[in-house]
Amino acid sequence: MTLTAWIPLLALMTSLLASLVIFALPEKGYRLRTAVNLGAAGLKLALVAVMVWGVFHGVEYGLSFTMVPGVEFVLKADGLSMMFAGLSAVLWLLTTIYAVGYLEDSPNRARFFGFFSLCVASTMGIALAGNLFTFFLFYEMLTLSTYPLVVHRGTEKALKAGRTYIIYTLGGGAVLLAAIAWLHGVAGDLPFKEGGHFVDADPDMHRSLILIFVLLVAGLGVKAALFPLHGWLPQAMVAPAPVSALLHAVAVVKAGAFGIVRVVHDIYGLEASSALGLLEPLAWLAAFTMLYGSLRALWQVDLKRRLAFSTVSQVSYIVLGIAMFGPVAAVGGLVHLLHQGIMKITLFFCAGNYAETLGIHRIDEMDGAGRRMPGTSMAFTIGAFGMIGAPPLAGFITKWTMGTGALEANMGWVVVVLVLSSLLNAAYFLPLLHRLWFREPNGSWPHERHWGRLETSAWLFWPPLLTAVMTVMVGVLASLPFSPLSWAELIVLREYYPDGS
Amino acid sequence: MTLWLLAGLLFTPLAWAVLTLLMNFTWGRLVTWVGILVQVVVSLGLWLAVSRDGGFYYGLGGWEAPLGIELRVDGLAVTFVLLTAVVASACGWHAGVYIDADKPWHRYFWPLFWFLWSGLNAVWLGGDLFNLYVGLELISLSAVGLVALGGKAGALRASIRYLLAALLGSLAYLLGVALIYGQFGTLSIAGVVFWLEQQPVPAGSSLALALMVAGLALKTALFPLHRWLPPAHGIAKSPVSALLSALVVKASFYIAARLWLELGEPLGNLAAAQMVGLLGSAAVVWGSWLACRQQELKQVVAYSSVAQIGYLFLLFPLTFSVSESVSLQAQQGITLQVISHALAKAAMFLAAGNLILSTRSSRVDALTGVSRFLPFSLFSFGLAGVSLMSLPPSGGFAAKWLLLQASLGSGQWWWVLVLLAGGLLSAAYVFRIYRASFLDSEGPDQFYHPSRSLEVIPMILALMALGLGLVSDEVLSVMALPFEEEGSS
Amino acid sequence: MAPEWVLVLLAVCLPLLYPAMALRAAWSRAMRYALPILPLPALVLALGTEPGWQLDLPWLLNGGLWAMDEVRRLFLLLTAVLWTVAGIYAAGYLAAHHLQRFCVFWGLTLAGNLGLTVAVDVGSFYSFFALMTFAGYGLVVHEGTDEATFAGRIYLMMAVLGEMAILAGLLLGAAAADSQLLTDLPEAIAESPRKDLIIALLLAGFGVKAGLPLLHFWLPQAHPVAPTPASAVLSGAMIKAGLLGWLVTLPFGEIALPGWGSLMVAAGALGSIGAAMLGVFQKRPKAVLAYSSISQMGLMVLMVGAALADPERAPILVSIIALYALHHGLAKGSLFLSAGLALPSGRLRRAWVWLLVALPGLSLAGLPFTSGALAKLAMKEGLSGDKLSFALAGNLAPVMTAGAVATLLLVLRYLWTLTGKLEIGPNPPMLSVGWLAAVFVSLVAFWWMPWEAEELVKSPVWLPATYQFWALLWPMLIAVALAAVALVASRSVKQR
Repeated sequence: MTLTAWIPLLALMTSLLASLVIFALPEKGYRLRTAVNLGAAGLKLALVAVMVWGVFHGVEYGLSFTMVPGVEFVLKADGLSMMFAGLSAVLWLLTTIYAVGYLEDSPNRARFFGFFSLCVASTMGIALAGNLFTFFLFYEMLTLSTYPLVVHRGTEKALKAGRTYIIYTLGGGAVLLAAIAWLHGVAGDLPFKEGGHFVDADPDMHRSLILIFVLLVAGLGVKAALFPLHGWLPQAMVAPAPVSALLHAVAVVKAGAFGIVRVVHDIYGLEASSALGLLEPLAWLAAFTMLYGSLRALWQVDLKRRLAFSTVSQVSYIVLGIAMFGPVAAVGGLVHLLHQGIMKITLFFCAGNYAETLGIHRIDEMDGAGRRMPGTSMAFTIGAFGMIGAPPLAGFITKWTMGTGALEANMGWVVVVLVLSSLLNAAYFLPLLHRLWFREPNGSWPHERHWGRLETSAWLFWPPLLTAVMTVMVGVLASLPFSPLSWAELIVLREYYPDGS
Repeated sequence: MTLWLLAGLLFTPLAWAVLTLLMNFTWGRLVTWVGILVQVVVSLGLWLAVSRDGGFYYGLGGWEAPLGIELRVDGLAVTFVLLTAVVASACGWHAGVYIDADKPWHRYFWPLFWFLWSGLNAVWLGGDLFNLYVGLELISLSAVGLVALGGKAGALRASIRYLLAALLGSLAYLLGVALIYGQFGTLSIAGVVFWLEQQPVPAGSSLALALMVAGLALKTALFPLHRWLPPAHGIAKSPVSALLSALVVKASFYIAARLWLELGEPLGNLAAAQMVGLLGSAAVVWGSWLACRQQELKQVVAYSSVAQIGYLFLLFPLTFSVSESVSLQAQQGITLQVISHALAKAAMFLAAGNLILSTRSSRVDALTGVSRFLPFSLFSFGLAGVSLMSLPPSGGFAAKWLLLQASLGSGQWWWVLVLLAGGLLSAAYVFRIYRASFLDSEGPDQFYHPSRSLEVIPMILALMALGLGLVSDEVLSVMALPFEEEGSS
Repeated sequence: MAPEWVLVLLAVCLPLLYPAMALRAAWSRAMRYALPILPLPALVLALGTEPGWQLDLPWLLNGGLWAMDEVRRLFLLLTAVLWTVAGIYAAGYLAAHHLQRFCVFWGLTLAGNLGLTVAVDVGSFYSFFALMTFAGYGLVVHEGTDEATFAGRIYLMMAVLGEMAILAGLLLGAAAADSQLLTDLPEAIAESPRKDLIIALLLAGFGVKAGLPLLHFWLPQAHPVAPTPASAVLSGAMIKAGLLGWLVTLPFGEIALPGWGSLMVAAGALGSIGAAMLGVFQKRPKAVLAYSSISQMGLMVLMVGAALADPERAPILVSIIALYALHHGLAKGSLFLSAGLALPSGRLRRAWVWLLVALPGLSLAGLPFTSGALAKLAMKEGLSGDKLSFALAGNLAPVMTAGAVATLLLVLRYLWTLTGKLEIGPNPPMLSVGWLAAVFVSLVAFWWMPWEAEELVKSPVWLPATYQFWALLWPMLIAVALAAVALVASRSVKQR
């Protein structure tokens, strides 16, 4: 095996091995576990950085072998996979730091971190998967490794949420498997390829291709929380904050959205999907989900539930972006893959900080928390404004690009949806910010803890601040090379002009 | 060289059976462990030999069929031999630690264990119907004995029931064999096939096949003939349950599958094939449903076996009057399913045994808090569950994938629904166990912690089941090796 | 003199980074006294550099470009000056109550307000605009009373709606222009098939900020409840950001839009007169001033409408609008600041104070020898019916006259309500200095500012010609007469 085959495998293995080592370590080995965790996360980040650099310069990383007769196991690093891999590598490091602080003194840490690493390994696999089969492999692995995280608290409520989660995701997985198997039967083993495979598909195949597409989207839509398959997401909120952060920003929800991107771009190909009439309904579905999620978020009184419905809404931006037939819109959708991750993880980190430091879970308990926890609240504010799409933050870049793309694709109604969605976002985020900064605290906090100099534990304090800074930076510096926007443009360039012209 | 390997394979178990019969449990254990080592080496050697040179027929002691013992040593057979070696040695090792040496009747465990092993090897390698029958009887009787070792009244009741079912099945099978012999004048399967190639199918020979398959289906516990299995597998000692679920039921299925693949095309018909498939599907659904409703941990696992066995019988419709490639896919899928289920189910029963040992209760709801204090055994159980749910990258998933392809390829899309629903239903009962164990208990650790070796064994098996999917192409390629037609003709 | 790019980066980044001082509670005193320093680089930039420079920031958003032209310079100047004097005033005015929070929002709002005047690319312009809008909320609700919270809610709701309209409008405009530069927008909008939609969105979006009638509801709510220095900048500078938004995006001079022009003229008339009618019934001084702002903005909207309708006159009208905005901003700023004064005890000194309070007001009404006279005359010149060619052009003169009457009436009403409100006592020194500086800038320093509009309004034309005296004075006399009647009437009502 050559170096170009080793690097993606190693990137996958770092977290997989870390997970095994952590499972083997005793519960009390706190320092060693943290060292393994952070070491693996750092190593992975470095490997991904190497690959990003390489992919930019046209190096092809990958390996493949026959797994089941007729089906290859393929790992491959292309622009799209590096986008997702980069996101998960960066946010994994931060989330690990955060989780170490969050779970201080709580039981079952070995189990937690073991599955946590496993979950990230699956995400890495999803990112690097080179065909649908390999994708599915890691997709299901993700389902399994997140279940223990969702039910981590071990309460009745957590277990109930876990059950809902597993019913939804395994059901979705079964549908997805059926679709993949069918597609395999119809067209053979299809590697992900820029431009897709069905540009000149036989008209006889159209019917089955359309049906397969519907099944694929239904299967992936469960994780991507597309309406009406989103029901598990708000319930899964009982998980500890770092898990929610990971679920919403990096792993599960994104895996679904990423899968849809893969199917549309690299299996069917944009042109073929458009010619088959698949994109328009998908766009409507995504648009509806966007508004629906926001509307539901308005009525939530629990902070994390509100954020969850916000995710339902935000992830559909990605789907909407790629469902519009046009390069600029696709850039908008892709870039939101990263932007939403960074912003949402900020919000969840902050929600976790409020819960852990002050015992705040409900929105009406947040009054005046800005004064007590200015750093966290600042991060929260930036994240929220990012979600609203206020310039110059990450969310603005998304909305602007998508809006431009919509006009370019002659889908003016998308602009209306974008504006409405922003209005709704503002309607459910701005009151929160008002409470944080301008209300006086009502009496004492539900459950306050103190950590010396900083407003909260240093492990909890820095990650949200860092992601908040990133939220600002990816917006302000959007035109720099290697910014999410530039990278998404690179991907779309390769997608629309696969021959490199 | 091959002679020695084959001799070792078939006669060491018998020799060890006799040897251990003369010893008490502790000595038997020591001797057995040596024997296991020998068996593993021999099985591995044979597997390597076949994977290098391809399969062959072998007349034992120079006696050719139809009178002598004819062995059919092909890729599939040696794979199962190796599988048996792996699972049986794991169970033997586990049993040596797990089973209480103080109870006097436990000393019979070792002889029965060895008889079982020799029977299994005889079935995998057997080339003619009568020798298969002998192997089958050897297996059944020792299995009944092993169940009865449970010692309690319930165990005896279950073993009697098991015995009756096994005898009934044998009877039906034997009847079929007699009919075949009457019509074709040979007991060698290859002989029958050869005969059928030359001459038209005689009337009534379908009945012979039907009788044999029905008898074997009863032994394999195909729905609705499955009622004897859960009590027997549930009440036996965990290593015994593991052996029974992983290997014993597979032996009778193996024979049925061989018969069908060789004789199904001329002697069977479409309705029968679909019927068997339908029964298999019913088994998948009904077994999973009952598994969800069991209160006792091992009963859950036992009913899961009923469901998993159901998949195996999809072989019948998926290989009947379909194209070569679809048939191959189906065969490969079923083979993988047999292997992965054997590994996973053995792992699961052994892990369940550990969990029962730790919680001092066999009930599912006693698992509360286990995930906190006994993560290792639970983890093995969980990994085995992944394979049962046929989620990637397990062998179960690879099997399901191939079966899906075969179903779609043959246009029999209704099996797709069964396969997908089966996966979800198995998830339902597996996650029920997870759920119970994740429920957090307040109190301190009150569990008994079994020794490390007890915990390691199921983990190894579960990891093998899980990793099988990744290497399934290599595993299957050994089976596809060319077959040297030299024995009978 | 430092190069422009250093100055402009300093001008924007200083107030933007200043809130970081709030991280240490011990720096709260330093923050208070840093308030007046924040706009200084911008002031130097506005006064010390010639328009025409530009700064490329290719890494910023979708590619940034900051530059300066005549109109932008005037707005920058107004913004910088007003924020400076208000900053001085605020340093004296503020109580310890949530001081740091106020300073944080002050800095952010200022950064937005300054930045939007120099930003030429859509991305950074909209960014600064939104920053100003959202940070402004912090200033509005600062007092924390129920009333302030309510006003804040109205402010925020309307602001968000406005932002969205602007976003959609800019998006459509940028897509039509296929460019991210504001300078390319007007032409593209003029040619776009969707021009009516785009213009509607931009008019409405910026109109929220500019207090366009029916989009103005937040203004009379928010201005009175905000702390006085904040009201001054809200009404003096931030309201003009909406105006600037129109000036830089709408297709002035590209195409005749009589429909939109007439609509805006009508809106301007409605604003200038309607707001006055509502304003005179207000009891709180700052509410009166808020309506006065709406009324004055109405006059500017009038000019915007005329400029939209008549592409020939548009360039000169735009200059006049800028001039008028400068005059109004400075005068209104000092009027607002006077609302927070305490009167000295000496009679003579009190009279001086009243004079200085009243003078910017009279300037608004167009008292000769004030900036108001200049602005009013320029407006009259710009809107004179014979030079304009659209349907409503003939009706502009009476509206302007009515507007002038309304202006003075409101000023008088303000002074009247103020008499009941101002207490006697000492002022914090910074507060007095800030107010005096504001008055000084409005009455004196104005004349040295670069407000010249080619040909029409040239320095030194601050002495109105004789025939113009009467034109300026008679509306004032009507207003005084009306006020006197009202006074007498109210007395008699009270006596009964």
